[in-house]
Amino acid sequence: MPDWALEVRKRLASVRLSPTREAEIVEELSQHLEDRWRDLIAGGASHEIATQTVLAECKDTLAPHLASLRQARWVDNAPPQSRWLSLHDIRYAIRALRSAPAYSAVALAVLTLSIGATTAIVSVVDAVIVRGLPFPDADRLVAVGERRMKAAADGENLVAPQNFSDWREQQEVFIGLAAVGYSSIMLVPEHGQEPEVLKAQAVTADFFPVLNVSPLLGRAFTPENERRGNARVAVISYSLWQRRFGGSPDVIGRYVLGHVADVQILGVMPPGFAYPVGDLQPTDVWLPNVFRPEERIRGNDFSYRLQVIGRLKPGVGIERAQADMDQITARLAAETPRWFEDRVAKVEPLHGYLVKSVRGWMYMLLGAVGFVLLIACVNLSNLTLVRVSTRSKEFAIRTALGASRWDLARALLVESLILSVVGAAFGAALAWIGVELLRAAIPPEIPRAGNIAINVRVLTAAMAIATATALIFSAMPMLHFTRRMNIAGPADTTRSAQGGLRDLLVVAEIALAVVLLVGSGLFLASFRQVTSVDLGINPADVLTVRFRPLGGSAGPQRTQEFRNLLENLREIPGVEIASLIHGGVPLRGDLRTVDFGIPGRVLSRNEDLDFNAISPDYFRAMRVPLLAGRFFTDEDRHGGEAVAIINTAAAKKYFPGENPIGKAIQFEGLRTVVGVVGNIRHDGPETDWRRQGFIPLDQSEAAGATLALRLNGELAHVIPAVKSAIWSQFPGIPLPDILTMEEFLQILIAQRRFNMLLLSLFGLLGIVISLVGIYGVMAYTVARRTKEIGIRLALGALPVTILRMILSRASAHLAAGLLIGLITAWSLSGLVAAFLFQVQPTDVSVYAGVGALLATTGLAAAFVPARRAARVDPAISLRLE
Amino acid sequence: MAGIDRELKKGSAELLILALLEARPRHGYELSKLIESRSNGQLTFHIDSLYPLLYRLEEREWIKGTWVEQPGERRRRCYKVTAAGKRELARQRETWATFVESVRLITGDEHA
Repeated sequence: MPDWALEVRKRLASVRLSPTREAEIVEELSQHLEDRWRDLIAGGASHEIATQTVLAECKDTLAPHLASLRQARWVDNAPPQSRWLSLHDIRYAIRALRSAPAYSAVALAVLTLSIGATTAIVSVVDAVIVRGLPFPDADRLVAVGERRMKAAADGENLVAPQNFSDWREQQEVFIGLAAVGYSSIMLVPEHGQEPEVLKAQAVTADFFPVLNVSPLLGRAFTPENERRGNARVAVISYSLWQRRFGGSPDVIGRYVLGHVADVQILGVMPPGFAYPVGDLQPTDVWLPNVFRPEERIRGNDFSYRLQVIGRLKPGVGIERAQADMDQITARLAAETPRWFEDRVAKVEPLHGYLVKSVRGWMYMLLGAVGFVLLIACVNLSNLTLVRVSTRSKEFAIRTALGASRWDLARALLVESLILSVVGAAFGAALAWIGVELLRAAIPPEIPRAGNIAINVRVLTAAMAIATATALIFSAMPMLHFTRRMNIAGPADTTRSAQGGLRDLLVVAEIALAVVLLVGSGLFLASFRQVTSVDLGINPADVLTVRFRPLGGSAGPQRTQEFRNLLENLREIPGVEIASLIHGGVPLRGDLRTVDFGIPGRVLSRNEDLDFNAISPDYFRAMRVPLLAGRFFTDEDRHGGEAVAIINTAAAKKYFPGENPIGKAIQFEGLRTVVGVVGNIRHDGPETDWRRQGFIPLDQSEAAGATLALRLNGELAHVIPAVKSAIWSQFPGIPLPDILTMEEFLQILIAQRRFNMLLLSLFGLLGIVISLVGIYGVMAYTVARRTKEIGIRLALGALPVTILRMILSRASAHLAAGLLIGLITAWSLSGLVAAFLFQVQPTDVSVYAGVGALLATTGLAAAFVPARRAARVDPAISLRLE
Repeated sequence: MAGIDRELKKGSAELLILALLEARPRHGYELSKLIESRSNGQLTFHIDSLYPLLYRLEEREWIKGTWVEQPGERRRRCYKVTAAGKRELARQRETWATFVESVRLITGDEHA
């Protein structure tokens, strides 16, 4: 019997029917012909005659007759008509994605995580280093600093008041030059409120004009206010105005009641005004900067404490300003050479100045999250490739129906774009949570951390990232597939070539994950190093309380008050050791140095030693070991023998190979060394020992001090008792500064902790995404080879052989990826060297650890599909296809 | 040509189909056999004329085709007359009757 459907289809070739309608007509008409044929046979006709008769009756007029019908005017209004994107494409793509829920879910998860992480980091980088300064013509603002030529890093370049004053007088390139110093006001508590400490900045009169921002109410300072006597004035922030004065318009002329002095309010700044920008704790009050008498002469007071900012005159560029400052410096250096021994003036754009300390760090974070995104792209490329090959039949049909390569490519692209856009939406939500976490975790000294937020710019960036991601991850499978199809025809998409690309992508994914994990490993190792550094003290369970008694002054009476206070504190349950220190408390950035000398010996110039005045129990409280001689006792008091204790670093430097005990030193007067104690890393775990000297508090001129209490009880129970003990001795003083040494340590290592956490998170993301990739490809390989595996098993292969076969393929991937990744990590590791602490960027144990981790988890990911392969039932698998 | 004149057949085809479907739904092959047998072989409809006609009637919504499945058989497309088709059938019958009557009056027996 002839193929009647074929006959009908031939005659319909010239009619434009929709595929569905055509199929129906073919079915109906071929049935008719077959019925007719069977009737003819039943009537006695031979097969041949019957066939000839039916074909003769089936005339060529079918097409013209049909052509006049409406249904024969079908137009394919989808792909061929619209060459770009249509609603149809989107609908089709959504349908296609919904029909592959596993692929869509994994792809979405990968996209959400990677875009979310990237968006969160981009928002941090945007706020901290990219966003411009919110001042009019901010690009004309510069920072002018004193750069130490010998210093390796270009730091804050703080300026001494003496130099600032001369610069201000002599410069001709700036509209104004202003100095900013830090200060605070302790407010007198009102109506039982807790004493509040306002964050203040001491600024010169040019500060507001330089930034070109005027007060919302009242006025700013004039140079007159920089003199003692005229200086008890303040400009307050908008938020303080609202908070403390209820936004009352008659605030001008009222007083801010401070503990040291009351200041009269001159003006209120507009909302949002802050310098620097976006501090986590914004400035509340600006006070006039008044230089101390010793800061007005070029004597022995070297206090580099001012940030200096300026606004360039119109037409003056940075180079010109720099040249002008160089001239001034040269002139000043000629007059007072010792002020400029290794110092030059440096002019730089203010924005760059404010962010330079963290720029490298931000780039590093961006790079790390970029790796996550890259791994995600490679992973999605691979998933998409697998998906494309499982859809080869669908594509073959679409090609047969007239779809072009571009149509297929576009279909894939639209699917990828939809995934990316949805992923970006989820990612933005994730980033929103991430940003809240980052803001909480970010070290407080990071400039502009307060500005970190998801905004339109960041979201735009996220969408751009998503689109780029979609293009990247669908481009390769798309090109690959459509090119293959053109050569081999739609029926066969040459699986082996695709397999090769898939292998390559898995290897790339593993390699990228290795690089990322090595980064995480290095940061983890650094963090471990930092936390295991011997500080020379034991910060655990030490509470510090800084206080400054109101009124009174140093002397025997104050000394007696201190003694009484310590007596009272020792009575408190939970306080093991009570001690006092005046000078530099370790880990909190305090430091005081004084001149040092040895009678009868000529030391090199400018010898100094850290100065600390302590009560006898201080070393015991801090757990600083005594290495020679003795600690101070209660007998070391005013009028007794003047004694001192030095640390090992000082002993080694000044008494090498000698016993320093009993030696005389010049250290706040002539003193005898009675003890040597262990070194302390005064400025934190990442700094070196300093040379330190200690004298008895009773022999010092300390008016205020800091309590160092070693506790053996609950902090929460101890603090109220400590407060009331202090207040019973010194009624009414504010105690804003109650912190444990552990807390100071945490602040010092906050950036390391932040890096470590973030990089670990990224490393985790990278490894999870790569494992999904390994698993996916292995699972696909097993699925595709089920029949082959079935045959092998039927022919007697053992399941364990199959397991080995699959795992060996995964091992090859892993080995190649590990090798490439480790080499890449090795060659890139120099980039993070600056962020590491006591860990070589090529630390072998980190590399080995990463290798072992990926090898085991990678094999585990491959094991699941491999075991499935080994359990294949030959009878079932052979029936497939 | 054996059988009825081509033009005449064309003009009456719609009426024939509607009339045959009035009694009950039928499929295409059945229709073509019925027309042939009832006209004693004078009228034949092959697929090239029958189906385009059916589809046109369907587009005019005078008939409605649906796929009907019966146990042990392939599904077939059966057509039935719609309400609009029935009105059309009545109209065409009347026209036809008037026409036949007119022809008879003109060409008929003048001695009747």
